[in-house]
Amino acid sequence: MACKNQYHQENGVIWRDVYELKEEIYPHRERAFYSLACNHCENPTCLNVCPVVAYYKRDADGVVVHEQDKCIGCGNCIRSCPYGAPRYNPVLKRAEKCSFCWQRLDDGRKPACVLGCPTDALQIVDLAEFDEANAVQYPAGFPRYPALNPSVSFRLPAMPKMIRRKL
Amino acid sequence: MSEMELPLVIFTVLSQTAVGLVAISAIRQHAAEGPAGSVRPEWMTAALLLIAGLVASLFHLGHPLGASLAIKHLGSAWLSREALGTGVFTALVIAGLLSARGRVNAGLSFAAAVVGLIALFFTGMTYSPPGFPALNNVMPFVFFLLTAAILGAGFASYFTPAEKMPLITRILTVSLIVGLVVYLVVPCLWLSGGTVMRQTGLNYISSPLYWARIIAGLIVPLLAVWRMKTVPAWAPVLVLAGEIMGRIAFFSLAVHASANMGGIY
Ligand code: SF4
Ligand code: SF4
Repeated sequence: MACKNQYHQENGVIWRDVYELKEEIYPHRERAFYSLACNHCENPTCLNVCPVVAYYKRDADGVVVHEQDKCIGCGNCIRSCPYGAPRYNPVLKRAEKCSFCWQRLDDGRKPACVLGCPTDALQIVDLAEFDEANAVQYPAGFPRYPALNPSVSFRLPAMPKMIRRKL
Repeated sequence: MSEMELPLVIFTVLSQTAVGLVAISAIRQHAAEGPAGSVRPEWMTAALLLIAGLVASLFHLGHPLGASLAIKHLGSAWLSREALGTGVFTALVIAGLLSARGRVNAGLSFAAAVVGLIALFFTGMTYSPPGFPALNNVMPFVFFLLTAAILGAGFASYFTPAEKMPLITRILTVSLIVGLVVYLVVPCLWLSGGTVMRQTGLNYISSPLYWARIIAGLIVPLLAVWRMKTVPAWAPVLVLAGEIMGRIAFFSLAVHASANMGGIY
């Protein structure tokens, strides 16, 4: 919602999506989710495969920015990104994706999703310094692509406490 | 398959046919004794196939007028390299066509064939992205090479003199046998991969399109050339239909890695 409020994407063009963890990974249905968008990979395949150089990676913070006006809509980045981050905008006939609200970052503000999340499930961290025992880069249910090295870290979901009444 | 990908089916199949046709023409003219065959019409066919393929490829772009910009990222984008390679190959084929006097000059023939094969390799790399685990390997290049060999030999039969038909028949027979083995084995190998690759394998073996392509595009023409010891005029048409079905399967049956988000990979 926060992302849609900020950018008013076309219907069906989703930059950040919420995926339910399947029961084979987390046994309690509809209790654990991943909220995923572009991972701003260290070695972004979207950028590498784009024939018209419509992507660039910012030196300062590693954000992978898509410049939509340069895009010719070849779909190559959409096929290439294993995380499904770039999407096709059928109205503009160009790709688009989350560029981490880089204008907000430059203005000293948080991305809309981070600001809008009511449970603080999304946070910006400096991965060079982030060292938390319960966090992993590739949790179950998230594709593992070391060659891309996605710039994300996940706190694993805890199992819920089962409270049973004594008979 | 999204409608965006139909132009890619046409472009890849036609351009690979042209690569095969030119490579086999070079071998037949300059590496085998005897008459060259109908070289000019053959190179004209290759040029027309390439031009038709390139025009088709424009329709897969959201903004076809930006197509000329697609060679901007030669440093890392295989699509830029493919665009450049195919452009140079087309120019060499047209040069061969215009300069042909009974035969195309040997140097130009082999240069065109080599550049065509390099462009085909670039195409193979373009369509082996990380997003499709079943295709993120050498297989797209192998599939495309087989298309060039099978369709190149098939179409070359129309321009080959009787003395050299045994050579073309042999190339087509071997290509069809290798193609049959590869296309039967690869989906089975995918079945032993992770969830997404396995689903791709299941999509293939449960697809009528895949089996229609195996039977009509490989088995029937193989039996025909084997029994008749030559290439009947209808065989290349059937093989072309098979390759188009195979390419539609290639673009529509592979599962994207993101389709299983939240599940075991
Ligand atoms: S997640 Fe995909 S779109 Fe985002 S940087 Fe990585 S490769 Fe590019
Ligand atoms: S769809 Fe646009 S951004 Fe993506 S690779 Fe093609 S030209 Fe580049």
